[in-house]
Amino acid sequence: MRRMIFGTAALVALATAATAGQAAAQTTLQLVEVITSPQRTEHLETMIDAFEAANPEVTVEVTSLPWGQAFEKLATMVQAGQVPDVVEMPDRWLSLYANNNRLVNLERYIADWPEAQNLTQAALDFGSVIPGEIHEIPYGFYLRAMFWNKKLFEEAGIDGPPETMAEFMETSKTISELPGKSGYCLRGGPGATNGYIMWALNFLGENRYFDEEGNSTLDSPDAVEGFKFITELYQNGYAPRDSVNWGFNEIVAGFYSGTCAMLDQDPDALIAIAERMPEEDFAVAPMPIGPKGKSFPTIGYAGWAMFEEAQDKDAAWKLIQHLSSPEMNLEWSKFVGVIPIYQGAEQDPFFQKPQFEGWFTELEGEAWEPTSMPTYLEEFGYFADVLSIQSGQEALLGQRTPEDVAGEWAAYLTDAYQKWQAAQ
Amino acid sequence: MASGAVAATRGQGAVRRSGRLSVILEPWIYLSPALVLLALVMFVPLIVGFTYAFQDIRLLSPFSRGWVSTEHFETLLFSDRVFRTALVNTAWWTFGSVALQFFLGLGLALLLNRAFLGKRFVQAVVFLPWAVPTFLSGLTFAWLLNPVIGPIPHWLFALGILEEPYNILGNPSIAMWGPIIANVWFGIPFFAITLLAAMQAIPNEMYESAAIDGASAWQRFAHVTLPYIAPMIAITVLLRTIWISNFADLIIVMTNGGPANATQILPSYIFTTAYRKLDFGYASAVAMVLLLLLFVYAILLHQLRKTFRSTA
Amino acid sequence: MTSFTRPIHQQLLLSIGHTLAIWLYVVAALFPVYWLVKIAVTPEALLYTEGVRLWPSAITWDNFAKVLLASDFPAFFKNSVIVSFGTAATVTIVASAAGYAFSRFAFKGRAVIVFVMLLTQMFPLVLLIAPIYRLMAPLGLTDSLWGLVIVYTAFNVPFATFLMQSFLESIPKELEEAAMIDGCTRLQALVRVILPLTLPGMGATLGFVFTAAWSELLFSLMLISNEAKMTFPVGLLSFVSKFAVDWGQMMAAAVMALIPACLFFAFIQRYLVQGLTAGAVKG
Repeated sequence: MRRMIFGTAALVALATAATAGQAAAQTTLQLVEVITSPQRTEHLETMIDAFEAANPEVTVEVTSLPWGQAFEKLATMVQAGQVPDVVEMPDRWLSLYANNNRLVNLERYIADWPEAQNLTQAALDFGSVIPGEIHEIPYGFYLRAMFWNKKLFEEAGIDGPPETMAEFMETSKTISELPGKSGYCLRGGPGATNGYIMWALNFLGENRYFDEEGNSTLDSPDAVEGFKFITELYQNGYAPRDSVNWGFNEIVAGFYSGTCAMLDQDPDALIAIAERMPEEDFAVAPMPIGPKGKSFPTIGYAGWAMFEEAQDKDAAWKLIQHLSSPEMNLEWSKFVGVIPIYQGAEQDPFFQKPQFEGWFTELEGEAWEPTSMPTYLEEFGYFADVLSIQSGQEALLGQRTPEDVAGEWAAYLTDAYQKWQAAQ
Repeated sequence: MASGAVAATRGQGAVRRSGRLSVILEPWIYLSPALVLLALVMFVPLIVGFTYAFQDIRLLSPFSRGWVSTEHFETLLFSDRVFRTALVNTAWWTFGSVALQFFLGLGLALLLNRAFLGKRFVQAVVFLPWAVPTFLSGLTFAWLLNPVIGPIPHWLFALGILEEPYNILGNPSIAMWGPIIANVWFGIPFFAITLLAAMQAIPNEMYESAAIDGASAWQRFAHVTLPYIAPMIAITVLLRTIWISNFADLIIVMTNGGPANATQILPSYIFTTAYRKLDFGYASAVAMVLLLLLFVYAILLHQLRKTFRSTA
Repeated sequence: MTSFTRPIHQQLLLSIGHTLAIWLYVVAALFPVYWLVKIAVTPEALLYTEGVRLWPSAITWDNFAKVLLASDFPAFFKNSVIVSFGTAATVTIVASAAGYAFSRFAFKGRAVIVFVMLLTQMFPLVLLIAPIYRLMAPLGLTDSLWGLVIVYTAFNVPFATFLMQSFLESIPKELEEAAMIDGCTRLQALVRVILPLTLPGMGATLGFVFTAAWSELLFSLMLISNEAKMTFPVGLLSFVSKFAVDWGQMMAAAVMALIPACLFFAFIQRYLVQGLTAGAVKG
């Protein structure tokens, strides 16, 4: 009996060794993308075709989730065991998955990756929500800058874009006096969080979310000034009335249709706007500076991560590596409108165009410190997607005071921060 | 019927009819496919879903705390402001939608309850909204209500209803009307079809004898039509109310519960809690409360019908 | 309808009023659908600038062409057809059996079952997604059209049973009793005698369920990730990206998807009314 078992085990071991030696016969990798559009999917598949050509033993199946429902769809799939190998992971979801031990720590792969030394420091830092571990290789950065409509400014008799917050309020007021126009394309609907945080921090004068005791800074008097700034702007009518409910599509449409003259957005909006507005009609300036001389435009990212359930982790890493290679990354970031992750990328003629000035000034100038949101907090996703929008709207509409709302947010974030600290 | 088959089955039929057990079982046999399906696809998942109401379940976290007994219920009954808002909104949404759909549907049924030129064409057209997927009609109405790309705000402004053409979906005090209008557009055919069918079953003699007795049009309606269609009214209103109170598609597509929770109803709140916050435990608790409310409503209506029938 | 006469001018007034009211309903029913079509033929550049006009200054058939030729839509359409017909057929069979049971038998527990079916209508479907997904994944029923058919069938059976019961009520019991005396089993009588008589009713149920399955979005979205198996509502969502919504194409696809659903429903609605009427007479 024993000899039979031993014999069988030996056979099995031999068979496994043989197939392993064949570089695991045929591997299929599942890749899920979540920020989707038909054009992006097409481009992604071209990149993947190149990968498959270079690695004939691997096939990649791409699943594209509709962006509006991607979060819940991915969560449903994962909880039921249908877990992809590689996933496109936006910054806001990273902490949720990483802190629940769903993602592979990519550090050891990065150690062996020659290109890693050419990554910008930001790229390495941002993929890490758990100190010492890297769960994601970002593919680019979204950085806020101020789009402004040159024609409307001319009409209103204003020379150039506002440089300070006070000028921003003045400019909005002047432009709103033009019939049927507004100064600022306010985003009160989905995605509003970045705006509120930026104004609060600009007035606060430092990009610290939590003080030494671990309490949120959002309800300190200076930060509240920042909220008041934006609620007053809306209540005075310097933004269109409907903007309390506006999401990405509406604010971009508002800008290129000439309804509102200023828009704070990331480079990906540039693609949509450049298609619909002649180049001479708009420009991109750095974000206005707060009363304490500093400005904190928010910076976000998305990238590639690997799930723990991936069966062939080496193959999955190869895919991530391919997608994150310098050539692939440059192409991809130009296509989707993000700032690439490699050092020296701004030398590329594409990024030398005048429209990118605003962003690169922010990256290099002294007064601007690109600030990431506290996405390392697991509860931040809900804050960004639901809580801040709902209570932000209540403040804009005057149903609640800015102090009240700021207090609610500070309490929520302090709670989340303390949970995070306890888990460290 | 082929006599050959008859002869062959005669013996079988005789045996069958004599077993008492098989007589009792017979209806159940016909019911079984339906019951099995409902049990597997609806009841089992429901029970699983409801056990979540007493646990702390976060969709992706294996570290959830486990059984928390009635903690969720305590939170939602005593400290959840959004729950209360959603509860009130659900009532507004449900009864507003049903009332409008019902009366407009009844009106349409009355109009269709007579012969006229082009009736077949008209009937096919006015029932069309029911065939349009609700998320599509939600999108279309969202377009229609957007002053930049739709005509309705401008019409309302011209009629003096709005003081300037703006998007009512952005105004918390009247945002709910947007989804209600879309829901009414969608639901009129349901009532029109069922009530028309019920009306067509009324024999002409009833109207004629009433007319001979000197009844006016209104009296004929109240004393002949209404009593006859009352059972159908009861069923359709009950069903439609239950469907609508569980129906969040239009709201999610048109306003996503905003602005500031002005259009948040219980089913959309459940969805947000379950799939954005990933807090399945709490979402299940809210769902249980909703189910309980509907249950009570159904029982109340049943009692009302019984008393109404006994007095009629 | 009454047979006594009114003064002629009153009749004329009522007639005009009736026609006006009917046309109001017709216009109201068609206007949103018309708007959908309008967006589908509007070139993208004019979408926002001419948004409020009742008809664009230039129309394009590009969107329809793109959807038909350059997108995955034909596949989505096909999947929707399979799922919707599959559901409609299965539901009609199951509901006919169940409706027959309610119509012909007075049995103990009947009221309970009726109430149980009513109860299923109250379930918050949102909450069932995760458990159903969990149950179906190991059975290979996710990413499967048949999985969808099973789920949709369960959702539609209660109302379809109510419909079929109503249609069956209008057929006298004597018919199958006569057949059974002649030696048929009850099942044979049902299939050979009764059901052929309820064909219009079955058609109506089929149409009603088809429409419901055709429009379903949530479960299709959650249970199916494989693009080859997506139904058209989910396909429509893919036109909504983070950066832009391709409204023209989306509405063109919507219009094309609407056509079969609307045509089918327009065809069977007559039988729906007829069948429910007949049932009401009896019950």
